[in-house]
Amino acid sequence: MLDLQPHVAALEHYDELYESGGRPRLHYEPLARTLGRIGREEILARVQAINTALLQRGVTFTVYADDAGTERVFPFDVVPRIITAHEWAHIERGIRQRVRAINAFLHDVYHGERILREKRIPRELVYSSKNYNREMIDVDVPRDVYIHVSGIDLVRDERGEFLVLEDNCRTPSGISYVLENRDVLKRGLPDFFWGYAVCPVDDYPARLLDVLRHVAPASAPRPNVVVLTPGIYNSAYFEHTLLARRMGVDLVEPRDLIVVENVVYLKTTHGLERVDVVYRRIDDEYLDPLYFKGESQLGVPGLMNAYRAGNVTIANAIGTGVGDDKAIYRFVPEMIRFYLSEEPLLANVPTLDCTDPAQLDHVLANLDTLVVKNTNASGGYGMLMGPYASAAEREHFRDLVSANPREYIAQSLVQISSSPTLVDGAMVSRRVDLRPFALFGRNIDVPPAALTRVALREGSLVVNSSQGGGSKDTWVLQS
Amino acid sequence: MADSLYWLGRNVERAETIARILDVNYTRAVDLYSQRVGRSEALWRSVLRCAGFQSKPVVSANGKIASECFGFCAFDEANPTSIVSSIRVARTNALSIRAELTTEVWEVINVLYLYVSAQNLRSVLREGPSKFLRRVRDATQAFAGISDATLTHGDGWNFLQVGRFLERAYMTARIIEAVDVEHEPWHESQRLLEMCCASVPFAQSSHSAPEGRDAVAFVVLSQDFPRSLRFCTREVDASMHRISQSPEGTFSNDAERRLGRMRALFDFTAIDEMLALGVPSFAGRLAREYEALAGEVQSAYFPQLPVTA
Repeated sequence: MLDLQPHVAALEHYDELYESGGRPRLHYEPLARTLGRIGREEILARVQAINTALLQRGVTFTVYADDAGTERVFPFDVVPRIITAHEWAHIERGIRQRVRAINAFLHDVYHGERILREKRIPRELVYSSKNYNREMIDVDVPRDVYIHVSGIDLVRDERGEFLVLEDNCRTPSGISYVLENRDVLKRGLPDFFWGYAVCPVDDYPARLLDVLRHVAPASAPRPNVVVLTPGIYNSAYFEHTLLARRMGVDLVEPRDLIVVENVVYLKTTHGLERVDVVYRRIDDEYLDPLYFKGESQLGVPGLMNAYRAGNVTIANAIGTGVGDDKAIYRFVPEMIRFYLSEEPLLANVPTLDCTDPAQLDHVLANLDTLVVKNTNASGGYGMLMGPYASAAEREHFRDLVSANPREYIAQSLVQISSSPTLVDGAMVSRRVDLRPFALFGRNIDVPPAALTRVALREGSLVVNSSQGGGSKDTWVLQS
Repeated sequence: MADSLYWLGRNVERAETIARILDVNYTRAVDLYSQRVGRSEALWRSVLRCAGFQSKPVVSANGKIASECFGFCAFDEANPTSIVSSIRVARTNALSIRAELTTEVWEVINVLYLYVSAQNLRSVLREGPSKFLRRVRDATQAFAGISDATLTHGDGWNFLQVGRFLERAYMTARIIEAVDVEHEPWHESQRLLEMCCASVPFAQSSHSAPEGRDAVAFVVLSQDFPRSLRFCTREVDASMHRISQSPEGTFSNDAERRLGRMRALFDFTAIDEMLALGVPSFAGRLAREYEALAGEVQSAYFPQLPVTA
């Protein structure tokens, strides 16, 4: 039998499975019983079978830092993360509120700038954002929806409260792992589900397609949707293929599209076929070489003109990156008050502004206790975990931050929650986060399909897959 | 020889379909229907209907529905449509014409037979039935590919085709009859499509979520989807005409006459008209048509009883 109690007594953070006394929380009891009943050898054999299945299915991602982009199976931990219906209802409301506010902010910064004129957010902070896009000023997007798909990263603090760690409003990925994790767990360890009623996740592609069709230009009664991928070497290519296949739409690369007289077409063996909605998984600057100049010749020449002419919907809209810029993040609670006249349901992690001289001094003096993040990096790159970093790393960041304060923020270190996790055949405690996805079409839908990432390295608080993170199946319980 | 190939085709196809039906429903039941006794009973009752049984599942205890129904459909030797029975009959038929088969075709059947014979319900359920079902499906699909690629496409192969596509159409009709798309459009349509291996082909052809009868229309009428009733009926018809050498559009026996009528139904009837009396009644009627067709094929070419043991 697996020893399920990994040094619970001494935890200074919240554990998903255990109460502070070391007893399983009520909603984990059936799972704890099942784990106790199935033998260790048995579980390890099943884990082996599940990993083989993931490899055979090709559920892989590419790590850029490695030589020549190695394909790896995204590590999957079989111990599920369970969220009660009550907790989920709170998360759902909080995410809806946040996404609605950020969407309103995006509309505002590209139409009239009311929030800047009223000085709730510093103008220069918005204008200096790398992802603020002047081409979008006064462009009306269909149904005023900018962030059709978003992933909001949550963590639990020491008291068990959910906090927002960051917003992802450009091309958040991870949903394919949610779908695959559930499928392999159901097949490989169906016994785990005994005693639970778990919300299914497999209708996510249908819900996404519904959103994409809903936001099509009004001129398209039967909208033709495509998924636009950078190609097979992209780290999330597996996800692009899965979504296209499950939605039954074409997966295309930029070279498959052509713009003629401001209309986007797909080149097919039977000639050109009009495209109405592009669900793009490509960053803004690679969409159209005519607009987003750089050394890149990638993209679809003329796409931006077709977009501005209202002949095609691009999801997510162009220029949404200003909404998830890490320097703007600390103003999201303000956006919620400003646009919705509501108090935020999900709080932010306390964040310091390096452009303010006093706060900058504080940051530089406390690099050993703070987390410093580059405002434009993601995936766990460009980040300093103060307490765990070496003196040399801290000095390096001191130089970086002093040279370019706009590009950095600092946050207090949150001791995020842990969950029992199977590592090298033993049950150990590892830190987790939660990424629910929001779909914005007719209204804001938060499907009960969230990604739990887990930091597999001992003591690590960084869950990103590029930094040794894995994932867990996430169960939202039916009410 | 002709009848052995026909029954070989039918039984291999049946094993594959039952394996897929069980996989889809067992896996769905794990999250969607667990903890809801009424729901899961309805689900398994419909699985039994697909497999040809009308009775209510006999359940000894709460929570045993899935394992008992699974055992009945996969391992029960007394159930002629169970996976083990189908594979045993397929292998017996293959054995009786072993000299006519290529080594590859014989071996894929024999290996599958040896594999399922060595399994037992308890160990399969303990590790989750997915692996076992996958193995059955892989082997039956390999059988289809290998027989296509290595057998001469003469009369014998045509009888194999008749058996394969007749069984496939019959099972598709029964699956349609057993789902309840009228009351639970999304979940039931999705279940129907998955049991027919059609969820991605459907999505690609319709570009939208299945609503009401769309999924039914697809698995009945699709021109190109190889499990639709229309496609399968056309294949049976073509093979029958190759065997009898009567020109297409004419008939030389009752089976061919029925096939012509059914093809006309699929080619020239609007779906709403077909479904006017409801989906289950339409699908049930078609299932009876395929049963009658099977009887007519048999009396046209091999009026004796099949080899079953």
